[in-house]
Amino acid sequence: MIKLMISHETRQLFRSGALWSILGLVVLAIVFAAWSGGRSVTRQLAGAGAAAKFEDGLRNHMRRDAEKYEAKVIAEGGEYQFASVRHAPGMGPPQGTNAGAVGAETAMYVSLPPTGLAALSIGQSDIQLNYLPVSMATTLDVTKYLELENPVSLMTGSLDIAFVVIFLLPIFILAMSYDLLSSEKERGTLAMILAHPISLRELLASKIIARAGMLLTVVLALGLIALFSVGTDLGSADTWARFGLWVIATLLYALFWFSLAVLVNVYGNNSATNGTVLAGIWLVVVVVVPTLVSLVATAVYPAPSRMELTVAARAAQTVAEKNYMSKLDEYYYDHLEYVPEGDQKAMDFLTLAQANNNSIEKAVRPLYDEFQVQLNRQEALVQRFQFLSPAIMMQLALNEISGTSADRYEHFLEQVYDFHDQWKEFFSVKFLERYPLKPADYEAFPEFDYDEEGFALVLARLLPSLLGMFVLLLGVVLVPTLALRRYQVAAR
Amino acid sequence: MLEAINLKKAYGNMEALKGLDLTVNSGDVYCLLGANGAGKTTTINLFLNFIEPTGGTAKVCGIDVTEQPLETKKLLAYIPEQVMLYGNLTAMENLRYFAQLGGHDYAPDEYRGFLNRVGLQPDAIDQRIKTYSKGMRQKVGVAIALAKRAKVLLLDEPTSGLDPKASNEFSQLLLQLKADGAAILMATHDLFRAKETGTRIGIMNEGRLVQELSTDEVSHADVERIYLEHMHAGDQYSQKVA
Repeated sequence: MIKLMISHETRQLFRSGALWSILGLVVLAIVFAAWSGGRSVTRQLAGAGAAAKFEDGLRNHMRRDAEKYEAKVIAEGGEYQFASVRHAPGMGPPQGTNAGAVGAETAMYVSLPPTGLAALSIGQSDIQLNYLPVSMATTLDVTKYLELENPVSLMTGSLDIAFVVIFLLPIFILAMSYDLLSSEKERGTLAMILAHPISLRELLASKIIARAGMLLTVVLALGLIALFSVGTDLGSADTWARFGLWVIATLLYALFWFSLAVLVNVYGNNSATNGTVLAGIWLVVVVVVPTLVSLVATAVYPAPSRMELTVAARAAQTVAEKNYMSKLDEYYYDHLEYVPEGDQKAMDFLTLAQANNNSIEKAVRPLYDEFQVQLNRQEALVQRFQFLSPAIMMQLALNEISGTSADRYEHFLEQVYDFHDQWKEFFSVKFLERYPLKPADYEAFPEFDYDEEGFALVLARLLPSLLGMFVLLLGVVLVPTLALRRYQVAAR
Repeated sequence: MLEAINLKKAYGNMEALKGLDLTVNSGDVYCLLGANGAGKTTTINLFLNFIEPTGGTAKVCGIDVTEQPLETKKLLAYIPEQVMLYGNLTAMENLRYFAQLGGHDYAPDEYRGFLNRVGLQPDAIDQRIKTYSKGMRQKVGVAIALAKRAKVLLLDEPTSGLDPKASNEFSQLLLQLKADGAAILMATHDLFRAKETGTRIGIMNEGRLVQELSTDEVSHADVERIYLEHMHAGDQYSQKVA
């Protein structure tokens, strides 16, 4: 019987113009969002690739100079020497033999690889650079490229499939089902149907199944097509596990909105009222509550802006420099090639530069840690308040699933800081020993290999959001089920 | 058959039905007369379990409608003042859908047979219902009752607004259903049709059944006189209360 009613509903929907315009808009929105998300990921990958290529080029250039020098030393005899300062080309050992110069003047670009689903939810990834230059410089220099993005995209976020699912999908769902019962009642067909051996529950279920079946088939199919066309790493099990989670989250969120339409209809107002009430709920759930939560989070735990962080770090740097340097030292520190008293004095300055760098790092690093702690507090607050709105739960869930969450980025930054220390350690030890860097040593430079988080950790962070949506869905399903008995089929 | 035993319905303080006892047997066409608000539609809605009674029982073929609503709805057919169907479906499609909802299915020719039997023009059968006149829609309503093999018919002012010819055709259909053994309860304002088609007449006033008549014992003039007497008595009573 319910099959008959579902096919009847489906036929009714197919014959209405509204269905086709809604499905058309869904297709248009998702195709555009997929294209936009794909472009964003491609741009990030291309940026990381180009930056790494540039720095590798610089390093290779130094290496070629060292090779030429090595060949010359072998041909002409003599000692393979350490270059303390920049010399005129062709004279003496090249810069490529100085570990300090190689480590400081070329950077190793480290990048956070996108997950297979990154294109489906851009999250914060458009403002959090996915590639950073690690060199001998301080953390200040490593992270100074963060938040240099277009301020407009900082303000508005970007249009991705997550946006379509969170903001637009509810509108499409409500447009299809705001008059689920009220239209039948107003048309007079409700009484005709319920004079047959059909319960109101079966009628509602068939209507929802017909609509959800159609809309969600289209959405999930388009999600799959988007994954194939703009997703990365389609061969990995991780991508498919994440896509499975994406499907679950999307279903939970969509069913919440369908159930909400049922809930409002069961309280038996006319279609116009139902539409207005549902539009109001959409506004509160999707726009007002998330904005308020974000306001509260920034008010309770105001994170210093990165601008302030940079200013503070620069101040700390200046103080550190002042403590260690005289005016003349400061000048020579910046212009090693002008140090008049020969190589030995210049080497002292290089050592001084190392020491200075370390002390700046010591002054600056705590500011970064503090900044991160404050960000984490904010994040934790949003995590707690997410249960106020399924839109927040969904945003957190989708970012987590797509690997664009704040937590994964922090996991990446921690590794970057570690690698930064490793890089500095590698070059400064060789430098301080005045070890002349040989071409063969270039093979032994530290490499950054991003260590992906365990999937269990991702699941554990995802669980509260999914569970929250599930409980909310149960509530929204249960209330109308109980209220159904009081539904007035006939006006008095 | 239909049975109401001390059936009551109140909306807050307003008693719409004050203890109705009524029996409609197979082969009966029971016409409920009364002013608007007398409780006719409330009675029909109670038999349909569209509203819950505040007291008493309503039974269809001996089954309590509040206890087994889906069972009783297999047995009854409902024709409201406006038979509302799916405008974007044809008469055939509507009939098939409602028949299937009632748990029956037929070959296409049989559906056509039902629609022919109720006098729908053959060329209208495959047209979408939204082009139909009220008379045509009421005929499809009867076809649905036929396809459902309903033992009980609940009709709520089915002929109001129909032209005399359409009204007469509708009454002829009711007589056929009656001959087939259906128990028919019809709320109506049409005293003439009630006397012509009905076997019994019940006059309701302010939630009470005030008089029952057998149509073969009274004339058209009697029906009108008795009806008006009750209405006037009701008016005087109301004035006294006021």
